[in-house]
Amino acid sequence: MSTPSTPNPFLHDGRKSTCIEMLQVILDGEATPDQKAYFKEHMDLCMPCFKGYELDMAIKQLVQSKCCGGDAPADLVEQIRAQVSQKIS
Amino acid sequence: MIEETPRIHYSAKEKNEIFHGEFMPHINSMYNFAYRLTLDGDDSKDLVQDTYLKAFRFIESFQRGTNAKAWLFRILKNSFINDYRKKSKEPNKVDYQEVETYYNSEDVDRQITPDLRVEALKDMIGDEISNALNSLDVDFRTVIILCDLEGFKYEEMAKILDIPIGTVRSRLHRARQLLKEKLSTYAKSMGYKSTSL
Repeated sequence: MSTPSTPNPFLHDGRKSTCIEMLQVILDGEATPDQKAYFKEHMDLCMPCFKGYELDMAIKQLVQSKCCGGDAPADLVEQIRAQVSQKIS
Repeated sequence: MIEETPRIHYSAKEKNEIFHGEFMPHINSMYNFAYRLTLDGDDSKDLVQDTYLKAFRFIESFQRGTNAKAWLFRILKNSFINDYRKKSKEPNKVDYQEVETYYNSEDVDRQITPDLRVEALKDMIGDEISNALNSLDVDFRTVIILCDLEGFKYEEMAKILDIPIGTVRSRLHRARQLLKEKLSTYAKSMGYKSTSL
């Protein structure tokens, strides 16, 4: 694993994270700004990480754009509103 | 969670404000989550309705200004497990021991990537992605939805699903791998050549 010159923000109990562990933290949206910056620099030196990131992010973006489902059915929304209004009054 | 939380007295006006102001704005996400769990239009409507009525019934357990979305997702997930899971079109249960063993083994350090290229993904239409997601076991599907579609953090997912953060992490890792394998199969069926990363 190639290492950037900046301090490693992925250290856990003194142990460096592997490429897959770093990639997962990034993909899962759990990375700190320092970790994001470190990983970006790391990718310039590590082709498997770069390719893995590119593919995994493409899948994530595809899921976000194609599986969000749109609006809930209007009759369902109305039904819930009506039932709750009845309980409140 | 509902039983453990101290009750807060709200007036009818406050209940109305909370319900319509904090709960209802999440209905689209809730419906999509319900649909992805049940894979059935009618069941998902029933599940969302049950969830909202339950949320209203226990509204005094909800503290204003806290994470309403996570609270609602948790109620929906529990309702699904208790009332819908048995009758849903569900594949076999996952062997989590196997998943944990896999994640904790040295294999996880290898770059295990199915043959799939970004170019192949670009030609996929919505149905292929949606079908691939729906074909995953519900527990794997759930973590992808919670993380990638709804943007929940590990800690929130752990509370919604009642599992440790480490399990959230390992389940997400495995779910992404399985989804990639499904998409790889689609890509091959579309005629894309296999290319190792």
